[in-house]
Amino acid sequence: MIASVAFRNFKALRNAHLELAPFNLVIGPNGSGKTSLIDALMRLRSLAKLPLRDPVPEAERDIHDGPEVTFHFIPPHEASEAVIGCVSDTQCDLLQVDPVGKDWPGLRTRLQGMRSYVFDHHAIAARSAAREGAELTTTGGNLAAVLATLRKNHPEEFAALSAELMRILPEYREVDCEIGKDGMVGLVLVLREGGERIPADNVSQGTLYLLTMLALAFDATPPSVVCIEEIDRGFHPRLLRDVRDVLYRLSHPAGFGIKREPVQVIATTHSPYLLDLFRDHPEEIVISEKIGAAATFSRLAERGDLKELLEEGTLGDMWFTGILGGVPEEKND
Amino acid sequence: MTDVRAGLKLAIISESPADEAALKVLVEAVLRERVTWVTPTLRARGWPSVAQVLPAVIRHLHFNTDADGIVVVVDSDDSLVHTSAHDAPGYYHPHCRICQLRGVYRQTVKKLPAARGRDRILRAVGVAVPAVEAWYLCGRDERVTEEVWTKGQESGVMPYTRGELKWRVYGTDRPSLAHETRCALEEVARHRKDTRRLENDFPGFASLAKDLREWRQINR
Repeated sequence: MIASVAFRNFKALRNAHLELAPFNLVIGPNGSGKTSLIDALMRLRSLAKLPLRDPVPEAERDIHDGPEVTFHFIPPHEASEAVIGCVSDTQCDLLQVDPVGKDWPGLRTRLQGMRSYVFDHHAIAARSAAREGAELTTTGGNLAAVLATLRKNHPEEFAALSAELMRILPEYREVDCEIGKDGMVGLVLVLREGGERIPADNVSQGTLYLLTMLALAFDATPPSVVCIEEIDRGFHPRLLRDVRDVLYRLSHPAGFGIKREPVQVIATTHSPYLLDLFRDHPEEIVISEKIGAAATFSRLAERGDLKELLEEGTLGDMWFTGILGGVPEEKND
Repeated sequence: MTDVRAGLKLAIISESPADEAALKVLVEAVLRERVTWVTPTLRARGWPSVAQVLPAVIRHLHFNTDADGIVVVVDSDDSLVHTSAHDAPGYYHPHCRICQLRGVYRQTVKKLPAARGRDRILRAVGVAVPAVEAWYLCGRDERVTEEVWTKGQESGVMPYTRGELKWRVYGTDRPSLAHETRCALEEVARHRKDTRRLENDFPGFASLAKDLREWRQINR
């Protein structure tokens, strides 16, 4: 979907460029631009909903060298360029697309399909209004309604989702959606032993996060781009392989025997254990680096000595040492 | 001599549940008996993490469990491949993973007092060259053997990559854990009744099998 993003004076990203892959795991210290990358994509999505404004040449703007983010796209939209810029100090909502032609309506639709999530277990566990077309909120809210809709409209997908959850967390035997008289749906997990029904607000955070990711991965019409912050949060390190697999189902559907367009995934993590799982795919790792006030991006695969490094330690260990970059700056007295 | 009772209780240290499932089948195929497995399962984060955690794992098994032995299998990746010359008494090659793992074991157990009715736990070490997927292809793909890989190392022209082996086994280089486990079990089923082909094509597996059979001799 998104082939590359170039930043100029966008928050800490003063002069940064990133080529995006189908799957991207961004690692780096706090404040190094990971969230800014996702924010830029979401700003593009928001502005793409609006009618395009007439181009404003840079010379005619009240601000010079202001924040600017330039996007390029993969085929069939490779000819298009989208630029978010500022007209003044307070008005940074100028989206210019070049060329605006036959390509724009299709691209615009796909841009509006981008989604970003920072999961919150309270929101995920909350009962939600049963309605067709219910969609996950940015915190993972509406999960119960989303799963109820999936069960009703795509029972095979719902069964597959349930089976995957049971495989990963064998203590459960069923996912259920209870629709109340008030029209609200509540999520319930049923324990394998004893059959006790556990309402979502008594289910562990990690289980809720996993269920939300599964809801995305088994969605019959998934977003075009999925951004998830801290995908390792709430998970035992041994479950991270399954978490990665769930997201690969989105980004590499052919490998799972699924015939649909790949969903581009942009995820962030601070877990060295999760990073270990990308030893065979260093091209999927983005290292965000902050030096002083400026942040930049690089790809792990660009390291010429990566093969030698991996003979001497795991990726996670190597990252923690600092030799891969992407670690917090420390004060030198 | 260590007294090993009939019906071995063993631990496997592996990188993933998929590897572990396949290795259990292969170990039982070599021993020709059902094995009781130590729980919870042991897991390492790849090389060199295995060598780093192995002393602690051995001490844990020795003092805290009634395990008879530990099975350690790692991928060779691009490291130097073990040869029969390394098996000479007193020989140790610092870049060979079998030699390194045996060395870690030797250094660890020599300091341990007897516990739970045994002098030490036994060890069986194997190295999959260059990765466990090569073992899975044994008997299905004639082009994949340890000798072919070693010749590639000598000539500088590698016959295949680890990624290619994954493609041949799983049909993707990003298999899910469930798919990986399913494929691994399907492939090792070929060797369930006879491991000679695997031992012939992969001396890194033969080393493991030799260690395991020696346990049985001790047991008799």
